[in-house]
Amino acid sequence: MNESPLIERLIKALQCLPGVGPRSGQRMAFHLLERGREEGRRLAGVLAEAMEKIGHCELCRTFSEQDLCSVCANLRRDHNQLCVVESPADLMAIEQGTGYRGRYFVLMGNLSPLDGIGPEELGLEVLAHRLREERPAEVIIATSATVEGEATAHYLGGLIREQGLKATRIAHGVPLGGELEYVDSGTLSHAFSGRQILVE
Amino acid sequence: MVMVLEPGYLLHRRRYRESSLLLEIFTPQYGRMGLVARGAAGGRRSQTGVLQAFQPLLFSWRGRGELKTLASVEGDGPACFRDGKALFGGFYLNELLLRLVLRDDPHPELYQAYDDALQGLGNTETIEVTLRIFEKRLLEAIGYGLVLDREVDSEKDIIPTAVYHFHPQQGPSPSTGSAGEGMTVSGATLLALSRECFDENKDLQEAKQLMRGVLQFHLGDKPLASRKAYMRPARSLS
Repeated sequence: MNESPLIERLIKALQCLPGVGPRSGQRMAFHLLERGREEGRRLAGVLAEAMEKIGHCELCRTFSEQDLCSVCANLRRDHNQLCVVESPADLMAIEQGTGYRGRYFVLMGNLSPLDGIGPEELGLEVLAHRLREERPAEVIIATSATVEGEATAHYLGGLIREQGLKATRIAHGVPLGGELEYVDSGTLSHAFSGRQILVE
Repeated sequence: MVMVLEPGYLLHRRRYRESSLLLEIFTPQYGRMGLVARGAAGGRRSQTGVLQAFQPLLFSWRGRGELKTLASVEGDGPACFRDGKALFGGFYLNELLLRLVLRDDPHPELYQAYDDALQGLGNTETIEVTLRIFEKRLLEAIGYGLVLDREVDSEKDIIPTAVYHFHPQQGPSPSTGSAGEGMTVSGATLLALSRECFDENKDLQEAKQLMRGVLQFHLGDKPLASRKAYMRPARSLS
């Protein structure tokens, strides 16, 4: 359909984005060419710069263009708490949704033996080194409530206790605004076994 | 073809195309099967949460051919276990099934063995025994059952105090001292595995080596990823 090989290449390249197939790739390409040349140039510039400069924070492994990300570089963050999460998106969710003031470690995945993701791939050596150096009072394990997330939590728990540190796991339960009738039985049984004493 | 509310377990799930999941499931009636769950990736459909391994499920699907389409799935009771050690044992069972059992080949007795093993893993004291029994029954189900109670050539009963040479394909024969292909194993271990009852820890240890050798023979060169992952936490916790 397209006679120009460059347009073809642009459409193909756009398809690397999540949710973009041939149709939407074509729509984006034509939009940029027809009405958004300036924005397109800016996008190309920023994209090239970002791909070049953004790496991983030396301490927590999240994305950062400096050696240390803004959370790790912030001296006012609580050094006694360390929260282990699976992805930078999880880190952002906790930053935005909770009042957590401690620091983080990002695994960039979870233990999934059947997909060949083991402890080395998750940078657990870096984490073990940090635990030895910093000795936080509490390590909060905030991995997903999936079997892989639980297996990761189990492994981390062993690693943390080995160093004589305290490991905690975030709670699983009924979502806010959720009615018990519609909550799946696994979540409900988790919520039930993790019930807490009502305090005034 | 439409199947409604078939019991089964999820063995593995991975991202498939943009927003779907490719599921490997194991059912008593249809054996191991490949299903596509459309639009289920990233928790977009409410049923994604229940799509977890080691959890009894009821699957509904439609379609012919090798990959069917998941219509719906619901939980069928609580998860078999949540303990971390058991999870690593469970990953090992699932990897064995994925590597050694072909799709669309019904194995009701193997399904029963898998179900028993998942229930057994809930007891973390006897994980090793549970794994050995499952390995033995798995080999039986796929046609590589082991001869454990008699010598292969002479049909003589196995004597607990004797030492045997075990060839992974044939079975035990009197030990001649020379190594060759296979392993050296005591009669007591063979009988314990045959009866699925381990009184002595050393028999259990030896059975582990024996089964590892036999499975290696059938698995080929590619190592089991879950065994590697399972070994390490066990060691770091001790």
